[in-house]
Amino acid sequence: MVSSPDRPSSRLRIVVARRVVLGALTLWAAVTIAFFALRLTAGDPTASLLSQGLATAQQAEALRRALGLDRPLVAQYVAYVAGAVRGDLGRSLYTQRPVTTVIAEQSGSTLRLATAGLVTAAVFGTMLGVLAGWGGTSLLGRAAGALAGIATAVPVAVTGVVILWVATWAGGLSPPLLVLTRGSNLTLPALTLGLASSGALARVIQSGLEDNLRSTYLLAARARGVGHGLRLMWHAFRPALPSAISFLALETALLLSGTVVTETVFARPGLGRLLVSSILAGDFPVVQGLVLLAATIYTSTHILADAVSAFADPRLRAAG
Amino acid sequence: MKRLSLGVSTAWLALVSAACLAAPWLTAHDPIQPIAAPLRAPSSHPPIGTDDLGRDEWTRMLFGGRVSLAASLTAATLAVALGTAAALLSQGLGGAADATVAGGANAALAIPGLLVALAIVAVLGPGIETVVIAVGLGLAPGFARLARQALIQVRAEPFVGAAAALGASEMTTAFRHLLPNALPRLLSLATTHYAWAFAGITTLTFLGLAEGPSTPEWGSMLNASRTYLGLAPWLALYPGGAIAATVLAVHGVGAWLARRARGETSS
Repeated sequence: MVSSPDRPSSRLRIVVARRVVLGALTLWAAVTIAFFALRLTAGDPTASLLSQGLATAQQAEALRRALGLDRPLVAQYVAYVAGAVRGDLGRSLYTQRPVTTVIAEQSGSTLRLATAGLVTAAVFGTMLGVLAGWGGTSLLGRAAGALAGIATAVPVAVTGVVILWVATWAGGLSPPLLVLTRGSNLTLPALTLGLASSGALARVIQSGLEDNLRSTYLLAARARGVGHGLRLMWHAFRPALPSAISFLALETALLLSGTVVTETVFARPGLGRLLVSSILAGDFPVVQGLVLLAATIYTSTHILADAVSAFADPRLRAAG
Repeated sequence: MKRLSLGVSTAWLALVSAACLAAPWLTAHDPIQPIAAPLRAPSSHPPIGTDDLGRDEWTRMLFGGRVSLAASLTAATLAVALGTAAALLSQGLGGAADATVAGGANAALAIPGLLVALAIVAVLGPGIETVVIAVGLGLAPGFARLARQALIQVRAEPFVGAAAALGASEMTTAFRHLLPNALPRLLSLATTHYAWAFAGITTLTFLGLAEGPSTPEWGSMLNASRTYLGLAPWLALYPGGAIAATVLAVHGVGAWLARRARGETSS
């Protein structure tokens, strides 16, 4: 590939800078919407404590003052944003512990699950995608395509319970395998999450491969004598790489929502379970913190994916 | 092959909908009253076993399917109605309205659908109605974007230019020419969105966000079955299998409708 004459690195920087500004705006919008939506509809959060008999009227009043809920909404909003910038997301309504601490405690488990799930998804997705794209209309190619479709369509909850059931059954035959069914074991949750998010990646790779296999430069490569085997596949595969990478950003979305379900299936601690239990309990400072965290992760992966694919495909850099 | 999968899909959907609609006539039991010992294996009575509280699983599957199917139908209808309305307005008004719809849909799609739905449940509070609204609103931006594209595709046809030459306003064109001609495509999109709504509803109820332990529903039944996977795996098999089969069947019908909309004859 010929390098672009007008200093691609500076263009790359402009692309990334623009994305960072946009990302910051998105985060601010997410915080604002989440703040007002939760405060305006949830009403007075201490009311639910009162109704559940968890606090007396005086305690509720003291709590309102401690949480700053007696101040005007706009003042609360300004205080929240100012706090969020400093890394202070308020306190949980129930445990009174800082939201950042609560989230930090649970994030290790989710991070391990998401990482393992992403690796599994990348392996399965690439395998299925290459098989489906390369196998074409052969039985193997079709089976891989169908499997990718099923993995995407069937809800994570179903896949997870099936995997858990198979492991329980295998554990009945060979008790040492029962270790796998424990919530602390990462294998089955990672497999569930990985399978669920692999189908979409497989499709991207498959269609990329199919397009490239028909392209003229591949014909040229063949004419140069590159042949049929792995080298030709790499030729077809490489241009499909940027779309697969930028797809990983989308994959993060699948992982984020996938962890919520996977953690519930395997009764694993983590951010997803924290989110669901906080929603059920009406603990809105925690919900708000998690929304902010999800938005942060999501926008930053998008920026990163854009930068990486601009790096992997010189054509995207020029388009900057 | 494709015809076979279409046949199996429609047969399954027809069977399930009919069985769930006719639930009161297909069972003599109540879905929330115990009838036998808990965790009974499938036998002649009760036919497919009992759950952890001794309630008839067959009855619970029938009544549970009603909730799952109706809830996802409502959610999908909400998404389709809102999305189509937005797409029609974007095409009928053009300019700023079009930019708002396109930009708004893209912005909303930047956040994962399940997280949007979870946030909506957080705002409105748990419950099956909330879950329906959350899934419907979560799917609406995606449908709006695809519906807008479908309408724009029709715009390229010569008769749209002819209508404009005859003095039809943009709004009239959108309603009388774009919409009817985009219908086959919209129908296939709506079917696919029904599959997503079904997956979304059962996922949220699986997470326990519908908060109604007494009324059975496939997603919450699947969640309840996890505890007894070793003792009574069939309790997971029924709702899990029904959810998976329904989602795949709807996708199968959606794929067929999409091929028809593209003008491919069935093969």
